[in-house]
Amino acid sequence: MTGVLLAFIIVALVPLFVATWRTSLLGLSLQGGLIAWLALRHSATLSFGSALTALDTVGLRALAAPAVLYAAMRALKVPPRNNVIAPNLLSWAIAIGLVVVAFRSSDVLVPPEGEPQMLVAVSGSALVLGMFVLSTAQGTFSQVVGLLRIENAIALFELGGSGHSGALGIRVGMTLILLVSVGLYRWYVLHVPRDDEADSDADTETAVL
Amino acid sequence: MNLVYLSLAPALFAPGIGSRAARPFAPIALLGVATVQAAAAIAVALTVSGTKTIAGGYLTTDATARLFLVLINVLFLGIAAYVWNRARTAPELADAVSQFARLSLVFMGAANLVVLSNHLLAGWIALEATTLAAAPLVVRAGVASSRRASWRYFLFSSVGLAIALTGLACLARGLEESGHSSTFFLHELRTLSGGPPNLWRRLGLVLVVLGYGTKLGLAPMYSWLPETYDEAPPSVTALLAAVQFNCALVCLMRVLQLFRAGDPDLVASELLVLGLLSMAVSTVSIIATRNYKRLIAYASINHAGVIAIGLAIGKSATYGVLLYVVSNAFIKAILFLTAGKIRAHYGTKDTREVAGLIKDLPYSGLFLMVGTFALLGLPPFGSFLGELIILSGLVRAGQVLVFVVFCTLISLTFVATGRTIFPMIWGEPKRDVHWPKQSFLAAAPKLTFLIALVAMGIYMPQPVNALFREVAASLGGE
Repeated sequence: MTGVLLAFIIVALVPLFVATWRTSLLGLSLQGGLIAWLALRHSATLSFGSALTALDTVGLRALAAPAVLYAAMRALKVPPRNNVIAPNLLSWAIAIGLVVVAFRSSDVLVPPEGEPQMLVAVSGSALVLGMFVLSTAQGTFSQVVGLLRIENAIALFELGGSGHSGALGIRVGMTLILLVSVGLYRWYVLHVPRDDEADSDADTETAVL
Repeated sequence: MNLVYLSLAPALFAPGIGSRAARPFAPIALLGVATVQAAAAIAVALTVSGTKTIAGGYLTTDATARLFLVLINVLFLGIAAYVWNRARTAPELADAVSQFARLSLVFMGAANLVVLSNHLLAGWIALEATTLAAAPLVVRAGVASSRRASWRYFLFSSVGLAIALTGLACLARGLEESGHSSTFFLHELRTLSGGPPNLWRRLGLVLVVLGYGTKLGLAPMYSWLPETYDEAPPSVTALLAAVQFNCALVCLMRVLQLFRAGDPDLVASELLVLGLLSMAVSTVSIIATRNYKRLIAYASINHAGVIAIGLAIGKSATYGVLLYVVSNAFIKAILFLTAGKIRAHYGTKDTREVAGLIKDLPYSGLFLMVGTFALLGLPPFGSFLGELIILSGLVRAGQVLVFVVFCTLISLTFVATGRTIFPMIWGEPKRDVHWPKQSFLAAAPKLTFLIALVAMGIYMPQPVNALFREVAASLGGE
């Protein structure tokens, strides 16, 4: 489990330094795959619960969300380079510093060393890195990446330990929320102009509800 | 009990109402569903007593659920009546009305689930569902700035709810650390949540208050609110400000009901800081703005700050907080719907372009005037009584510094709001325009809200008062 968690922190960090949108999506996809690995590692037989976990992690997080965003970015003909954080030494130092702080905090939250402590450290790191991306990102795509990073971090914390979390109804609800959110993310990436961009369409409104 | 299940039915009507064939009937169907919902909610409040759980323990009919079920459904009925009237007077809005009908019914189904939920995670999911339904409603066809506002609303809501979810996960971990099995059912948590706080529980509480605080528009994560309330159509703004605000508040109150006793100082400190910060930033913004919709939006942030401070004080202030919350839901609905009417007539949101409303649009002028008085916390409205109780709670709790800052900020808000709004109502009209006469029917929903507002300040019927007291007691109030 420790190896998978270390891999998770690597796929959370690397796309911050390799500034292309394809790398960001690949990072998200790999995060989803690693969460699936951790969540399903104890599932010897196929049950509704494990199928739901697979749908949530593999279907939505590893495949659908990155694929939908990839299609949207292709449709917009966006150039390959995309900075999710500012490309300078200070931003990179802050990112690494946040990971260190998250690891130190996990020492306090889970005193005995071991896999539970590592899970908290990696989830915490992924969460604060997601927040960091959100706080610095300008474009809609980068903000969506930040949101998905945060959602993956929470999923890792919930699913990474025991592999399942809560009643089935609640998990179905969570998966549906993610599904609809991914659809909305696509719409926003395609249709929301940047803050510094002029409105592309004129105000054609005649009456307001 | 079947009436409780009926509260979740609006979402079932959504596909039918949204279909192309049903488009001409969407406004009246929306009004019909809203009427049945409001009647069912009132019937539940009148017939059910005590705390009961249904639907396998996932739903509850405790006092908090009953009070807010009635509140949000009555408010929705008023909003549906407004939309019905707009559809009647502006046929070009047919597409927008159809979309509003479909998504607002999904929104209301989820909103009812939030207030009835007996499970912290189910409540969180339902609140997220209201966000997913509301985000597309913020978009106005052909207006790019509204798409940007919609995205900002969705982004901040998602972040706030993600923080709250992390907090809930930490609270569950805190229970495990204390030797309990983790659960999110309220009735089980009531028996488990006592005992000394541990680090996980404290972290969870901080995150939940910050996360749901974002949905309430509390500083520091409030910047989505003015933009969204300004850009969204008035009916949607009223839905967000009056209905969704109370759903987020119920989620926060549920956590406070269960976990506050374990660590009262931590919760009080955080809520006090967030509340005062929100009041301060909103006061500065109210002084600066010349857009009446934004002004009401900033006032909403101010109100969220007052509510946070009242919740922080607790005890004797809790009853005042509830009065203030319910009053403000009506005030915001009145003011945002009136702002929509003014915007539709004048075609501007600039306060300097609107003058002499009381002559031009007598009903709208009257509602803006009375709504502003209630907004400023003047008697005889419920908001006055609520604010007074919160202030007296601050003095009783020995929070003199907070009391002084609170009074200073409220006074500044009073002057700034009056300076901007009063010329709109009583100033000399800038253009000699004869508007079509306003019908009483169009004004009826806002008039009903107004009567409720005054009633809360003058005379509260015993059953309603008992419900308020029961909710206050569940929050640790006296």
